[in-house]
Amino acid sequence: MKRILSVFLVVLPLGAQGPAAPATQALSGVVRLNKLPISEEVLQVKLPRPVERPLSNGLKLLVVESHRVPNITLQIRIPTGDLRNPPELLGLSDATAALIRLGTKTMNAKAIADRLADLGATLSIGSGQDSGTIFVSAMTENFDGALALLTDVLLNPTFPEDEFVKWKTRTKAQLEQMQSQPGFLANEEMLKVLYPDDSRRYARPTVASLDKMTRNDVVEHYRKFYVPSGQWAGIAGDITPAEAVAKLEKALGGWKGGPVARVSMSLPEPIAEKKVFLIPRPNSVQTYLMVVNRAIGRLNPDYIQCQVMNRVLGAGPSSRLFRNIREEKGYTYGIGSGFASTRVMNYFNASTSVRTEVTEPALAELLREFRDIRDRAVPAAELADARSAIVSGFVLGLESSSAVLSRWMEQREYGLPEDYWDTYSQKVSAVTAEDVQRVAKKYVPAENAQIIAVGDAGKIAELLKKFGPVEDVGAGGK
Amino acid sequence: MLRNLLLLVAVAMPAFSQTSSKIDPVKYTDTTLENGLRVVIAEDHYAPVYAIAVSYKVGSKDERPGRTGFAHLFEHMMFKGSENVGPGEHFYTIFTRGGSMNGTTNTDRTLYFEVLPKNQVDLGLFLEADRMRSLRVTKENLDNQRQAVKEERRLSVDNQPYGQTFEKLDELVYDNFAYHHSVIGSMADLDAASVEDVQQFFRTYYAPNNAVLSLAGDLETKETLAKVKKYFGGIPRQEAPKPVDLAEPKKEGGERRLEVDDKLARVARLDIVYRLPDGASADTRALSVGASILGGGESSRLYQKLVKEKELASSIQCFASGREGPSTFRVTAMVPPGKDPKQLESLISEEIAKFLSEPVTEKELAKTRTAIRRSTLFPRESVLSTAISLADETAVYNDPNRINSEPEKRLAVTADEIEAAAKKYLRNDNRVVVVTKPAAAAGRPAAPKPGN
Repeated sequence: MKRILSVFLVVLPLGAQGPAAPATQALSGVVRLNKLPISEEVLQVKLPRPVERPLSNGLKLLVVESHRVPNITLQIRIPTGDLRNPPELLGLSDATAALIRLGTKTMNAKAIADRLADLGATLSIGSGQDSGTIFVSAMTENFDGALALLTDVLLNPTFPEDEFVKWKTRTKAQLEQMQSQPGFLANEEMLKVLYPDDSRRYARPTVASLDKMTRNDVVEHYRKFYVPSGQWAGIAGDITPAEAVAKLEKALGGWKGGPVARVSMSLPEPIAEKKVFLIPRPNSVQTYLMVVNRAIGRLNPDYIQCQVMNRVLGAGPSSRLFRNIREEKGYTYGIGSGFASTRVMNYFNASTSVRTEVTEPALAELLREFRDIRDRAVPAAELADARSAIVSGFVLGLESSSAVLSRWMEQREYGLPEDYWDTYSQKVSAVTAEDVQRVAKKYVPAENAQIIAVGDAGKIAELLKKFGPVEDVGAGGK
Repeated sequence: MLRNLLLLVAVAMPAFSQTSSKIDPVKYTDTTLENGLRVVIAEDHYAPVYAIAVSYKVGSKDERPGRTGFAHLFEHMMFKGSENVGPGEHFYTIFTRGGSMNGTTNTDRTLYFEVLPKNQVDLGLFLEADRMRSLRVTKENLDNQRQAVKEERRLSVDNQPYGQTFEKLDELVYDNFAYHHSVIGSMADLDAASVEDVQQFFRTYYAPNNAVLSLAGDLETKETLAKVKKYFGGIPRQEAPKPVDLAEPKKEGGERRLEVDDKLARVARLDIVYRLPDGASADTRALSVGASILGGGESSRLYQKLVKEKELASSIQCFASGREGPSTFRVTAMVPPGKDPKQLESLISEEIAKFLSEPVTEKELAKTRTAIRRSTLFPRESVLSTAISLADETAVYNDPNRINSEPEKRLAVTADEIEAAAKKYLRNDNRVVVVTKPAAAAGRPAAPKPGN
């Protein structure tokens, strides 16, 4: 069951990455003796290309064939999404995604769960922000059965009233439970801060929206948005393109509707004024800190430069934030930063949990790192290491056919150039220290940092004032 | 860098029906070097990557009173430098060369692993060998990692709803100190650990004869084994550490119960834990299959009864947690606001009682077998999973072939075996019940306002 991927394998000298870092270069939190037997070569691999096939229902299908294991994974994008929800019916998209698999004309929820278990299959339907995804995975011999179940769920749902009521009860309990998680509280506040004027500010349903929601609302959402709409679908694993097309035509040939206009939202500029938001969480022994501002969407031309910059600053243990704030200072167990860049989201943030007593120095140090990458050109060797981390690591993504498919889905859905992944390493390797500093200045917040702190208000409220005007947003939001 | 070892499920069994896909067994070589290092290598040429894992036969079970959390604290020290590797140079180099790595400690073993592009085989071997041979320990580095670990404890226990519940459960389940205390350890003990403790621990447990090295991926076995000998062959063997007695004293007094007031929780939680024999025993295996029938997924008995029909739980989990020594069968449920944990408990007890009185059905067994077969695929899509399974199965159970044999044995479990094991172990006088309740409303944040 093993087969070499049809990848183009060449070992090239590091070239654009430049020479290895000199022994003398200082890196916070790390001492290098430079005695390691490192191969100074980078495996250049070509991402296997998918086969693209149109389906008669309007879906565009990508197939990544791989027979490593007898398993097939299918994903289909649907034009649902949280941003479709009317403001008074938050959670409607989640309700529809959950309810659709809890009853069809011939099967009740128990029968569906039993059937899935008999097949050993996964069938999940989830709502993201501007779209949703149907996900089906099963062993090869059970894939037809799983597809048949998907057909039934997608085309014949009954949205039973009793299941709807029970779903609401469970969801309310889960909302209550999530209120105890500092990361959840911070994330909720972050969305309100970043997108105060539109539906992006809502992270979740509320008790009020759940109480207001009716079964008819769910049926309406299903009718409007659970349609093919010319979106992308992808299938990866133990299947040929011809088989994939035949099976999907049979299963979903009768699925009609659409098209639905894409959710369109502007990506606002960074917030100009510094501000601190305090969320009291009594009995906390740590402060959850987040520093955030608006940055770039996925199609921004600075995207790759931003990825390289963030490798230096906050992505993974080799980055400055981890080396300094965890390894050197010992303030935290984990810290990281990253860009959320889609068609509708455009922010950059860093977050960490630190013991309450070091809230002030930890936040100061985090902001110092933010200023440093803006004010000082990244040293050549450190930049070469950051680029190498991305370029050399590309090969690790070849192991899973689903991961390969995800990259191609990203390329297609964002309309990136056909050769995007073929030239990805070159693009990363071409990023200069000037590029890094330019995008850091533009997108890493300093004087306009939006700071969110979740913790023991009695102990941190005063010190937070040193970082900007503080707004106490209370538990659970404004 | 802390995780509980669930029952490891892996790979390969004969086809059970004519239409089932054939899954080949994982092929590997098993070699022991002169210094006692056991080396397991599995070739997999699918992608140009490889993984390396080193599993040391030491965990929190080996700790003594006053030094809880030490095995895990030590794990952190393994990234702070050795003779030829500077502090932090290990992880910095791995990540900047496109790889990934981590370490993790549980009750029974301490595991280190890396995954890298295939042209970096020497790098992975050198890094693991250097720290096995010559870990360098300084007071400064120890103090520094003590902080990181204490922060890890705050993150996973002290600042987490239900964080203390895990510790209380093990304290009630186990009387033998080996498993009675938590892997993360107490703050006071973490403060007490000295440089001498670290050095002594290293000498005793971090010897080649107390470790298993595994490699999986795009490698040639012969060539790789030669490199392993080059890097590890010269590390001297040490006197084997004294095995820890994991046996539990006979329990008196029946069921043990505790109510925990949790200042961070907002909804109640119910935990019921039954004691099982060791993780390699047939009874524990049978009940791990039984657990999935009872509480694995939406089609399971407990989910259908308690979450869907009675609405007494908002979620429920049930699984067997296998260890080298005495293991456990765990049921965990979240109780929705306004529902009674007592009522939930009595209905779970009813379901358990049914489980004892009538055999599971062939249909239930069949679906479990399908899930077991499918779960064997996951490690085959990842050289890292393969390397970790091989290293851990060998370190904890002394048998790399469990990667192939254990799923086969699980597939062969019968209804009678499940019933017999359930009758033996799923008894009220063999269990611990912990109810975690949100502490009194004083000091709790106000309920969120509806809407914005």
